[in-house]
Amino acid sequence: MAAESVASTRKVVVHLRATGDAPILKQAKFKIAGTDKFAKVIDFLRRQLHRDTLFVYVNSAFSPNPDELVIDLYNNFGFDGKLVVNYACSMAWG
Amino acid sequence: MESSGSWVGTITLANFNTSASTLLERWSEIYPTLPPWIWVSCSRLPCGASRKGEGYLVLENIHQFMLDEEGGGEEGKCNEEVKLHNVLLDDCGRERFCGEDDSFDHDMLVESCDQETCVFDFHIVYSSSYRVPVLYFYAYRSDGQPLGLADIEHSLPPHSLKILQEARWTYMTREEHPHLNRPWFMLHPCGTSDWMKLLFDGNLFANELIVKQYLLSWLSVVGQAIGLKIPSGILKWPK
Repeated sequence: MAAESVASTRKVVVHLRATGDAPILKQAKFKIAGTDKFAKVIDFLRRQLHRDTLFVYVNSAFSPNPDELVIDLYNNFGFDGKLVVNYACSMAWG
Repeated sequence: MESSGSWVGTITLANFNTSASTLLERWSEIYPTLPPWIWVSCSRLPCGASRKGEGYLVLENIHQFMLDEEGGGEEGKCNEEVKLHNVLLDDCGRERFCGEDDSFDHDMLVESCDQETCVFDFHIVYSSSYRVPVLYFYAYRSDGQPLGLADIEHSLPPHSLKILQEARWTYMTREEHPHLNRPWFMLHPCGTSDWMKLLFDGNLFANELIVKQYLLSWLSVVGQAIGLKIPSGILKWPK
């Protein structure tokens, strides 16, 4: 349990990767607390790109729910100490 | 399905069926006490000249209600933003949280939100025209009264409501359920292959993995449109 609590307080390096028509961000890497929700990453992207609707997904063909903890995503999808998060601006339904 | 580089994001009916069985298994492993997805074969239904092997996925009795999120300013989220919680029924018909909030005072929540309680049924149907899965859903109050779009709007996650307000006729509308021939709500499939291609792009996925994972990946996106949470652990394949 002790090891688990240490793991959950660790920081995770998020690597933002533009896909589709999305512009590349100047700051494509940042550190975020593992205890933060994925919503924080989405909000950061929304602010940087000035767009309300974005398509955000991780490198294993999965779009995480905003409520998921960053550490859980890192444990499931991270490698080499980082979590790759892809983003695209256009995501049409119909 | 060709190599993932030239893949256009669609799936064949046979591969839809393969992917459906993965979804059934993984869902039950992740949520062992919750209602399972069930495969309904068309041969059991009066759907006339349906093709062999055709069927669809069913998840029923999903309770949802709204709950105002208290405080929580750390992420700069609006306090008035309404957060949706999913509640599922267990075998005895009692409500059970789908998520990490089991410590909540259950009775208090049900009492304070009773007016808002509504039940959702979800069906995943293969569309032969678009060659992608399509989500159909039906919502009703606990007394059985069906809900219209105006009522459902209150249950949608904020970002989904925003899409609905901006693109009402190309996002979520009421259409005839292809197997039940009754009006159900559906999420429009025109863009699905494009965003599925994007979702899998840039990865060296083997074709078998795309087939196996297709519906889980698809549901991770579609679930967010209607507030159905899909935990990332669902993609952690048991060794």
